[in-house]
Amino acid sequence: MTSFPPPAVPTPDAVAATARTAGLDLPPAAAARIAAAVAPAFAAFAPVSGTLPFDLEPATFLTVQMRELAK
Amino acid sequence: MSASSLRLSSAPSDPALLTLTEVAAAIAARRVSSREATQACLARIERAQPRLNAFLSIEAETALAAADAADAALARGAAAGPLHGVPLAHKDMYYDAGHVTTCGSKIRGDWVAPTTATALQRLKDAGTVRLGALHMVEFAYGPTGHNPHFGPARNAWNPDHVTGGSSSGSGTAVAARLTYAALGSDTGGSIRLPAHFCGVSGLKTTVGRISRAGAMPLSQTLDTVGPLARTVEDCALLLGLMAGADPADPTALGGPVPDYLAATRAPLAGRTIGIPQSFYVDDLDPDVAAAFDAAIATLERAGARIVPVVLPDQARLSAASTLILVAEAAAHHAHWLKARPEEYGAQVRARLENGFAIPAVTYLEALGWRGPALAAHLDAVAGLDAVLAPGAPMPAPTIAETDLGGAPDAEAMIQRLTRFTRPVNYLGLPAVSVPAGFTAAGLPVGLQLIGRPFEEAVLLSIGAAFQRETDFHTRLPEAP
Repeated sequence: MTSFPPPAVPTPDAVAATARTAGLDLPPAAAARIAAAVAPAFAAFAPVSGTLPFDLEPATFLTVQMRELAK
Repeated sequence: MSASSLRLSSAPSDPALLTLTEVAAAIAARRVSSREATQACLARIERAQPRLNAFLSIEAETALAAADAADAALARGAAAGPLHGVPLAHKDMYYDAGHVTTCGSKIRGDWVAPTTATALQRLKDAGTVRLGALHMVEFAYGPTGHNPHFGPARNAWNPDHVTGGSSSGSGTAVAARLTYAALGSDTGGSIRLPAHFCGVSGLKTTVGRISRAGAMPLSQTLDTVGPLARTVEDCALLLGLMAGADPADPTALGGPVPDYLAATRAPLAGRTIGIPQSFYVDDLDPDVAAAFDAAIATLERAGARIVPVVLPDQARLSAASTLILVAEAAAHHAHWLKARPEEYGAQVRARLENGFAIPAVTYLEALGWRGPALAAHLDAVAGLDAVLAPGAPMPAPTIAETDLGGAPDAEAMIQRLTRFTRPVNYLGLPAVSVPAGFTAAGLPVGLQLIGRPFEEAVLLSIGAAFQRETDFHTRLPEAP
């Protein structure tokens, strides 16, 4: 059975693999630099990752914005 | 205050020193001609450009011809609108049909825009005259004002220091009185940072307040259009002209546009302003902390109720903002990154490549969390008219300190610059920037008033009241 570990900061290898799927071949040094650059954002966002409710309406942001406007 | 800075007199002899609202009224009343105003700006531009690098193109001949046409039309009683004959220049990312729009890049170095941005067209319809195009960070992707293709823009208060970016030319040109106002854009702080570092007023609008059609995209979720100007009143005038529905941008809000100018005349008494108890007050340079404390005292003395506010985790909002920004920016640039990578500056290319590391699930989670995060924020600020925060934790660093190609701590400093701006972008909120003081070395520092969605009028009201109580916005750097 597939397991889902807590979201992790991407490694250089993971960065290179993700970029390759988007058609961008990264040399190892670039992948390492990118992994370091995005790590703080991944780490800070980790508590949210994997916690959003199943039924979260995709347009909730607009709904909240418009609710304010209606006040 | 710097020994070399000047305070603006109430009736300057140089028409370039008038505010936008003042020069518009003066031209309409034929006390000043459009040619005189345009010539005054062009004379200052000619003197300042070698020192500040504020413009990417200066169009003196066509500007003067347009000014003459505006004067002739006015003489016939045919004023185009509230900004008839007023010369302006904007960040070089607003498409203007028939004009080269470089976006601060080599890739678009000779690209002629086929259409005109809605925001710009509305200012043109109001009668403005085009002075040229202002410096910007390559593809608006950087917070300092560095640009490897055109050289850095330089701060009007001290040319060794950065302007802030990405609306670098807009910030320094308004500060030096080279243009009465300028369009900027704010995706991660690109209006508020130049406003903070250059000592000018700025308005980051709610996502949806102004059409983005014809404005160069960076992040479709976070991009906003807004002005930098000498006063909050000037920002209000410009917002009123640009806001409103646009068939070319279905995300632009329809319905009546509030009277923003009237809002700037409202009293401060009765307003409640929240002061964050963490994040925005952490790790401040002493000069910024002093300006922040003084501003709180000023607002309280002028009748505002000051209360503490505990905001949700701002660092997490900033992280979510970054995940969205880098992914969307990479998607916009994916074609050129593959086809013409060598034509990017090294730093912008590196930032763009970061987006390819974001898995789709993470990107979509960052997008999806925006609604609950906005709801949580609005709960936290219930009963408040605005939240007051510094625009950045420090005054403008030097160009050398923030040179990623040379300074060892540059990346850390650049990350610190945008610390206070990105949460606002993630939540799509409006914010007004106001000059709030000067360091001992004569560099300006500013504050941001952060509001509720579409409540720009409230922020403009508070910002204008602050400017009635202070004179930071009337000070100008040494004459160019």
